[in-house]
Amino acid sequence: MVRDMTGDAFEAIVAAHHAEIHRYLVRATSRPGDADDLSQETFVRAYKAYRALPPDANVRAWLFAIATNLSRNHFRAEGRRRQAMAVMAGGFTEQSASWPEGEAIANQASVRIDHLVASLPFKQRAAFTMRKVHELDYDAIGQSLECSAESARAHVFQALRKIRQGLDDLDVVHTER
Amino acid sequence: MNAIPTCREVEPDLVAVAAGEAGAAATQGVERHVAICRSCRDELGRYRVLEGMVSDLRRAPMPGADPTLARAELEARLADIRSRMITYGIYSSPLGRILIARSELGVSMVRYVDSDTSAKSHLKRLAGDEAVEDEAAIEPVYRELLDYLNARETRLSWSLDLRWAGSDFQRRVLAVTAQLPYGAVASYGGIAKRIGAPGSVRAVAQALRHNPLPIVIPCHRVIGSTGALTGYAGTRIGLKKQLLSLEGVPVGAHASRIDRNSMYVWISPDKEYCVPSCGSLSEMSLAQLTLFGSREHAEAVGLSPCSSCRPDLHPLPA
Repeated sequence: MVRDMTGDAFEAIVAAHHAEIHRYLVRATSRPGDADDLSQETFVRAYKAYRALPPDANVRAWLFAIATNLSRNHFRAEGRRRQAMAVMAGGFTEQSASWPEGEAIANQASVRIDHLVASLPFKQRAAFTMRKVHELDYDAIGQSLECSAESARAHVFQALRKIRQGLDDLDVVHTER
Repeated sequence: MNAIPTCREVEPDLVAVAAGEAGAAATQGVERHVAICRSCRDELGRYRVLEGMVSDLRRAPMPGADPTLARAELEARLADIRSRMITYGIYSSPLGRILIARSELGVSMVRYVDSDTSAKSHLKRLAGDEAVEDEAAIEPVYRELLDYLNARETRLSWSLDLRWAGSDFQRRVLAVTAQLPYGAVASYGGIAKRIGAPGSVRAVAQALRHNPLPIVIPCHRVIGSTGALTGYAGTRIGLKKQLLSLEGVPVGAHASRIDRNSMYVWISPDKEYCVPSCGSLSEMSLAQLTLFGSREHAEAVGLSPCSSCRPDLHPLPA
């Protein structure tokens, strides 16, 4: 079976998924500018490969896999990981992170967590983001990262441990609970 | 009842329990342990708080993460890619096997092909790996071509996509050549003159040699200054003869030149056409003339018989 290649069918896919993939890539790359480029590239590749995609494929998971691949290669190619770390470290000197005191600072807490996410190794960062932000199942995450669902889950849990640890370390007013 | 698990034993399960992803046994073990261990209870509590914070990430706005611009650029790129996507079909015709390829904008390539391999190499040049065979999509174009080649039609109404032409110069040559009427011929020098570059006869010949759209851009109607047919689509001069004969241009079966004395003559932009002996026409270079094989085709483009040589009263011998 050949997919409908009229503009409309793919247009609908762009409309449904671009914003989410872009958001994912901001976290996966830690840089909005890179996310702009990579989100475009994700959909350009998807467009070219779309014709051959089986009709029962999960389009959303497939797009995440393309985006994940691109961002991994992007890091490998440009060695930007270190730069992202530097940016992150710089961020922390201006803004202390600690366990939240209440709902009122929930957004600040998100910013802190995002900083910690940015410091994770790529696989953990991507797995965490796909699972916890975009709520993909472990099979889909495993396909994106070219590993088993079990390993994908291990990456997510490892990320959670590190983030928890990170919040602890940064807790400037840490008190016994 | 089993012993209560130790801190070390429950540690790996704390994350899973907080995330709601632990199995029944692990959950129970953790519950029993934290009932008696304050530090692990706190730890589990922190993981639960963290789960709550993490779930906020789904809703929280991300600074600097506006996808609007990226989306707009993406739409533009996709539109461009879409417009360059090529579908093609390969068909049999009175001129042999013909490859026809088109984009969203129009027919982009016509090629005489000897084999599928040669077809593929032509396509690769045109569209990289993105050409898709789709005979049904090209079928209406092919039908029209068949009508033309079987003399049921004298024009092809295709929209053309000339983005694959090699240069602006070639596009100008092709545009002027496309104006040559059915049943008429002009010389390479004539085309050079019409694009305002009378010295570029060789370049014109070269541009037509690489005409991506033969038949519909009638390079077969362009001949040498002596009336020689010169070349066509490589070594397919027989096809040039075939097309010219189809259009009523007298080409002898064994000759490879056109006899201008057997053609009606028109000098653009006159409104009349003549017999070749009219006035000083026979002394003029072919570059200044357009020749018609028949009065019918000259009159089909709105020309009238010359009022002095009267081709209507004194037609050329058929």
